[in-house]
Amino acid sequence: MIAFEHVGKRYGGRFEALADINFRVERGEMLFLTGHSGAGKSSLLRLIMRLERPSRGRVLVAGHDLDRLHISQVPYYRRQIGVVFQDHQLLFDRDIFANVALPLTIQGVEPVDAGRRVRAALDKVGLLHRERALPIELSTGEQQRVGIARAVVNKPALLLADEPTGNLDPQLSADIMRLFEDFNRIGTTVLVASHDLALIARLRHRVLKLRDGRLVGDGEAA
Amino acid sequence: MSERQSTGVSRRGAQKPTSRASGGGRAWLRHHRAMMSDSALRLVRRPISTLLTMLAIAIALILPAGLWLALDSARLVDAELDESATLTVYFDAGVDESRAMSLAAEVGEQSGVAGTRLVTAAEGLAEFQQTLGVEDALSQLDANPLPASVVVTPDDTDPAAVQSLSQRLQTLDGVDEVRLDLAWLDRLQQLAALGQRVALALALLFGLGVLLVVGNTVRLAVESRRQEIEVVTLIGATHAFVRRPFLYSGAWYGLGGGVLALVMLVVGGNWLASPVAALAESYGAQFALPSLGASHSAFLLLFSTLLGWLGAWLAVGRHLADIKPR
Repeated sequence: MIAFEHVGKRYGGRFEALADINFRVERGEMLFLTGHSGAGKSSLLRLIMRLERPSRGRVLVAGHDLDRLHISQVPYYRRQIGVVFQDHQLLFDRDIFANVALPLTIQGVEPVDAGRRVRAALDKVGLLHRERALPIELSTGEQQRVGIARAVVNKPALLLADEPTGNLDPQLSADIMRLFEDFNRIGTTVLVASHDLALIARLRHRVLKLRDGRLVGDGEAA
Repeated sequence: MSERQSTGVSRRGAQKPTSRASGGGRAWLRHHRAMMSDSALRLVRRPISTLLTMLAIAIALILPAGLWLALDSARLVDAELDESATLTVYFDAGVDESRAMSLAAEVGEQSGVAGTRLVTAAEGLAEFQQTLGVEDALSQLDANPLPASVVVTPDDTDPAAVQSLSQRLQTLDGVDEVRLDLAWLDRLQQLAALGQRVALALALLFGLGVLLVVGNTVRLAVESRRQEIEVVTLIGATHAFVRRPFLYSGAWYGLGGGVLALVMLVVGGNWLASPVAALAESYGAQFALPSLGASHSAFLLLFSTLLGWLGAWLAVGRHLADIKPR
């Protein structure tokens, strides 16, 4: 599903955010990406989302060589990936339903079909009853769950999460992680960047560990 | 309400699971419709700032359009004058009526003369009184001071031809003076040509103004929806998708400005109509201010809409490049 081959990323020709990263992720895997802030987690995710291009090496995702992807193809590539942001990135000028429906709107899915899928996604994160609410009326944990519903509403093959539990208490964090495991169980490849080591240790999944832009660990638990 | 339209997604839920084969064309049309109404709603929700922007566009459109109308009316006057580009041949003061008639016949036989109209001394006085309304002053005179004259219509209105005809008529016996008012006709034509260029330059300049007004307004709109643009870009929106609402608001601004400009032209035209008519009447002329016809009005609206769209396109293109997390 994901392959990094000798990937390096420099910013401004000086700062080396990532150096010689090599790993593969199989379809249907669930894994964590850990490391201190500044270790390169976000850079790695940005490469997968094709927000940036590597300075060296190749990134392959779902059969695409991201460096060869034409600029006009990038939006269509991104539609195959669901992304959960630390600050959830909900749009506050529209309600929960419209927020979750956003990826489907972008893809031009039939309204009736879209409505059904939005409800299924909201049901999955336990917020079906709040579809009319505005994001501002929800708690932080609920907002994050809406963000997850939006990320999975178009059934992406790959789900990325960047510090999804960064602002949540341990109980809510565990709930969120359980959601990710549920999606993984139905075949979605899940990659979660997190520095919540205690939580990760309990979950027993593969862990990629970054330190100063280098991959220093690849295996179960940290 | 607007949110529903902005997403274009029905909340009615699904009784039947329709296939995803919605067809790109239908989805595209649906998004166009949604963005058309969504961008209009956004403008309506901020009526004051929307109106101010449209007013700025309207004013920028009115100046060249108004000048064009003024030139159009000048052209009408010009055309009338062209038809009546006549020479007036004044006879010597001692020429009596029968002599005047034979002289007029002689003038009529000259080559290059299409027609003649004899104005006897008495007729000349009557015409003079009528045109100038100076009956009282003239009635004080003991004798008619005006000579008989003949108005000559040349068959060729080319200034050089008329000039040579005038010289030949001048040499006839009994002719005192030949008047031709070609110089000011010439100047009028040159002025009209100059006016056309000025109108064109103004149209270009103010067209640019409309682009800048719309561009700046749309730039602010892009800025205020920055987060939304970032999010939809991250989840796979194409450039066209992101641009669409802004292009529609630009087009709405242009259309609104065009409508305002039309209204202001009509109101302004009516306001000027009665003094202009009064002025024309005092010269004994029938003259109405020309107005934009249906086709010209339609052209103005189309043009302003296109300008708004173009302004938005330029602004969005430039500012989306800044926002792209790339």
